This record gives sequence, structure tokens and C-alpha cells, in this order.
Amino acid sequence: MTEKEKIALIEETLDLDEGTLTADTVLDDVDEYDSMAKLSLIVMMDDEFGKKLTGDVIKGFKTVGDILAVME
Amino acid sequence: MYNLVDLTDKKILVVGASSGIGKQTAVTLSRLGAKVILAARREDKLMETLALLEGEGHSVKRFDVQDTDGIEKVVNDIVAESGALDGMVYSAGLGTALPLQQTKPEKINQVFDVNFFGFIETVRQLCRRGRFNPGMRIVGISSVASIRGDKSKTAYSASKSAMDSAVRCIAREVADKGICINSVAPSMTATELYTHYLDKYGEDSETNKDLLKRQYLGIAETSDIANAVAFLLSPAARFITGITLPVDGGLTTC
Repeated sequence: MTEKEKIALIEETLDLDEGTLTADTVLDDVDEYDSMAKLSLIVMMDDEFGKKLTGDVIKGFKTVGDILAVME
Repeated sequence: MYNLVDLTDKKILVVGASSGIGKQTAVTLSRLGAKVILAARREDKLMETLALLEGEGHSVKRFDVQDTDGIEKVVNDIVAESGALDGMVYSAGLGTALPLQQTKPEKINQVFDVNFFGFIETVRQLCRRGRFNPGMRIVGISSVASIRGDKSKTAYSASKSAMDSAVRCIAREVADKGICINSVAPSMTATELYTHYLDKYGEDSETNKDLLKRQYLGIAETSDIANAVAFLLSPAARFITGITLPVDGGLTTC
């Protein structure tokens, strides 16, 4: 999966318009990045990449790039 | 001394006995004299539960409730090996948290397979001639989520509501056979699910503080739930059927 496709998947998971995010986007600046969005990320990461994200890992996400780093 | 909850030599199947409430229920039932048949998907975990039981005559059975077509054979095997049953506890459950946009049909099916379809099929197979003794008592482990709304709990709450609804209907249908069926609805209990919850939100989080404010007797121990289950399985509860008993530290009074 290319970085562009991964970002599109994050946008879809967070219910954001296409092109809203870049790898440098700071998550605190994204209004939609709330507790339900984080839970959606956990589900998506498990479904698509077989990865179990813990609360600590989620808390460590500062930018979209941090999420991309674990999408492999 | 008179023992209100005497389960001496009662043969009771505990589905989901490998962890959490099911595991503690098995231990509690053994202390009350029951011969417990431990059932779950993972036999290695069941052996850990078996080591905690008191008394003799307990057994272990691999039981994958997601394989609903296979439940008839498992129940047949259990009855062939142990004889007709006096009770069953259904404690298999998925506590999956799914935001609405992740609540896709296949996800709902996964939750319902374990929390509801497995329950109904196990009950259906047990309530057949020769598989139960007169006075058999069934208890499903439901949840206060069945009557409360919460974000990300659409599938889970619906599955528990389905169990409670089924219990009311089945109670009427099996009463003529001398079978009673009820469910128990715990609130947050000190199991792995609560560990995950704390991992997600943090002990000092507003979410957890708010929970403890509403669940004002604190977080339930698994033994709190097991004790209620044991009572409902006992002859002392012979006049109780078709109910959902909250064991919730006061949560549903708020």
C-alpha cells in the first residue's frame, strides 16, 4: 500500500474529506480526531494490518506520519 | 447447617470457563459441591481453571461457540460422557467496541455469533429429551449494556438485549419441562475487559471517574457475579424464571 493510499484509508476511517490530511498534519489540529476516531483507528489497524494498538501507542501519535509508521 | 445454595453433585456446564466471570463461576460452583464441565475454545486455559476447582468429578470440553453447527455434537458428547445436566451457564462473550462506522455487517455477525447465536443454540440443544434433568436451570451472562446506551457499543448492547429478550421467551416455552432460564446483567467487572478499558482511558481519566460515580459500589469482582449465578442455579431460586438480574453496584439506579 502506498503512502497516498494509507492516508486515504486514515481519512476514510476518520470520516474526513479526501485530501484533508498529509503526513505532517498534527492530530491535535484535527477536530474529528476524538475518542471514537481513535477507537476506529484501532479497529481499522486490526482489520487491515493485523495490528493491536494499545492506548499508549495511540497516545503517542502526534502526527499523521506517526500513524503511517505503524501501517505496514 | 442449612445451605441455601447447595449444588452438591449437580452437573453444571460452564461455557466460557477459560477466563473472567465464567472462570470464577466455575470455581464458585465447585466450592458449592457441583460437578463442573468446563467448556471454551482454548483447552490450555481450561486446564488452568480446572486446577482451581475444589472437589472431584470435573471435566474439560473444547467448545467453540462460533461454530454453531458444531454445538449439537459438543452437547451430545458432554451428555454422553457426563449424563444429563442440571444446569448451564453461558459466559462466552465478545465485548467488542465498534464505532458506528466500523459496525459493519460482518462485525455485527462476529459479536452475535458468540454473544447470542451460540447461546440460543446451546440452550436449544440442551433442552431436548434426555439431555437435562428435571429442574435444570440455565443462566446467561448478559450486561447492563442491554438497557443502557453507550458510544461504540451498538453491536454488543444489541446482542445482550437479544439474550435478555430470548430468556423471557424461552422461559415460557420450557417451563413445562421444569426448566428455568434467567440472565445476570453485570456492570463493569474486574476482568480483562476492565484492564483494556483502563489501558484505553486511564484510571484517572474523566471517563473512569464518571463510571465510578455512577457505579457507586465500585468495580465488581468476578465473585460478585458468580455468587448471583450460583443462586440462580440453585433450587432456592426455583420460583425465578425469565428475568434479568442486575448485579451492577447501583449503576442502573442512576
